Amino acid sequence: MTFYLTVSLAIAVSSIAVLGTFMLTGMNGLFSLGQAAFMGLGAYVSAICVVNYGLPLPVAILISIGITIVLAAFVGLATLKIRQDFFALVTFGFGQAVIGLLTQMVNVTGGAMGFSNIPEYTTPALAFISLAVAIVFVWGLRKSHFGRDSLAIRSNELAAKVAGINVFKHKMIIFIISAVFAAYAGALMAFHTQYVEPAMYGWITSVTWIIIVFFGGRDSLTGTVIGALVLLAMPEVLRFTAAWSTLIYCVIILLIINLRPRGLFGTWELTLRSLTRLFKPKKAVEEVK
Amino acid sequence: MQSAMIFQQVINGLSLGAVYALIAVGFAMIFNVLKFSNFAHGGVLGISAYAGFIAATTFKLPLVGVILVGILAGAITAVIVEFVAFRWIRLQKGQLIYFFVTSVTMLMLLEQILIISFGASFESFPYTLLKVKAIKLSNLTISVTSLLTLVVTIIAFGILIYVLKKTKVGIAIRAASNDLVATSLMGINVDFVVISAFVISGMLGGLSGVLYGISASLSPQIGEIVVKGFIASVLGGLGSLTGVAIAAVALGLVEVFLISTIGSGLSPVVIFVIMIVFLLVRPQGFAGVSFADKA
Repeated sequence: MTFYLTVSLAIAVSSIAVLGTFMLTGMNGLFSLGQAAFMGLGAYVSAICVVNYGLPLPVAILISIGITIVLAAFVGLATLKIRQDFFALVTFGFGQAVIGLLTQMVNVTGGAMGFSNIPEYTTPALAFISLAVAIVFVWGLRKSHFGRDSLAIRSNELAAKVAGINVFKHKMIIFIISAVFAAYAGALMAFHTQYVEPAMYGWITSVTWIIIVFFGGRDSLTGTVIGALVLLAMPEVLRFTAAWSTLIYCVIILLIINLRPRGLFGTWELTLRSLTRLFKPKKAVEEVK
Repeated sequence: MQSAMIFQQVINGLSLGAVYALIAVGFAMIFNVLKFSNFAHGGVLGISAYAGFIAATTFKLPLVGVILVGILAGAITAVIVEFVAFRWIRLQKGQLIYFFVTSVTMLMLLEQILIISFGASFESFPYTLLKVKAIKLSNLTISVTSLLTLVVTIIAFGILIYVLKKTKVGIAIRAASNDLVATSLMGINVDFVVISAFVISGMLGGLSGVLYGISASLSPQIGEIVVKGFIASVLGGLGSLTGVAIAAVALGLVEVFLISTIGSGLSPVVIFVIMIVFLLVRPQGFAGVSFADKA
């Protein structure tokens, strides 16, 4: 596989996890500092199923998603009814616990040395189709009744509750879906890089995804996808040193949040209508308004 | 012998808890005034720990000088962070989540600055800083760094309590913690209050950075220890500095106890379970100062 294909495949897979964060943080206003841990779960569980137990890839991914759903439901049950700070805190604790377990269970996971010899199953086609399906799914979810309710909860939880929306159920479903996105991305990533280690899935990774969502604009799916592609590609493009590239990355994000708080794209979406509107003569646009 | 071991662990736990308390109170102070989780506090802590390190190695300052340099660096960095990351959003009346996003970005930014200037390796403070390494009392050995941490923390909290209860600035900060808008309506200069809150929180951060650097080791990732402050301030019931400090000390004791009994790998798992149980039993935190999100 050529260098560019390898890099773009990894970016496509990570973007799936970012889409999970988009649903959770962008649409529902919840901050999870343990999203990366779900990615780690997906990666480790599916890799162990394939390497140690010889299961086929789809079954392994299904098992990892099943475990993710159970754990996400557990975390959600404990925290989604109380204040939001607690959700951030407990997802953080959950992430640390997962990393601790992965490091501790040396016999199964290889501990801090990582788990290697994973077969390379993730083809470019699988990765890009998965990303496309994920984008379509999130787009549909946002248009649906359920997605509108989520946005209402984000804007004003109390008002949403009064309007008869089951806030707890909504948050729970979104949290589980976003965790599944992360786990699925983790599984694809494991079968791409062929090596996983616990340190990849710390809270800083979860935070990076939140930053990406805000960079592109949390009201814009287009912005999130483009933001994910740009920001995930940046460390690869700016290759002089990792520290300098992260530094530049941080400065750009500070500028964007300060100067354009709603993100690079605001609420703009890439649709047929917005495109034709963009290229219409000026007078026609004014008439439409 | 067994009881001596336990006593030693308690001292270690208390001193770790004291550092956590310094971090957590600095963290909670900004939360109280501006109502967001200021992860950039970790970056402030890291920068001042390295400032203290330079003071100790390059300029060969004594311990007191090193601590003072750390505190000063913390205050300056915190003010710079406020200007770069938060001021504009605050003046534009941006939503709280933007503060959160920029604060995490600031943490990463300051960490990268440390990596670029000092390299990613571990450093430690020179041994000449402390004349005596340990005190022996019959069969007890107490490390001087633990004692130092405890004593300095107690002094710092004493000064902090005096400033918050007795001085004009402290009273203004406490008023702003209650209600920023009402405070400004009472004719108090909110910008000044916010800056002073950042200065005080930065001083606490600088102190905790130097103390943690002396008792443990120094690496550019030192700032990520701010999460201990985050845990302690949420468990302590955001809003009450006393509750936050108690939660931090408890966290330090529990961590030392867990690491000495079940090892560092499994202790995050137990802490996670404790966290969940605690939140289910007492969602308002240790101190019980709870405030509603809305309405």
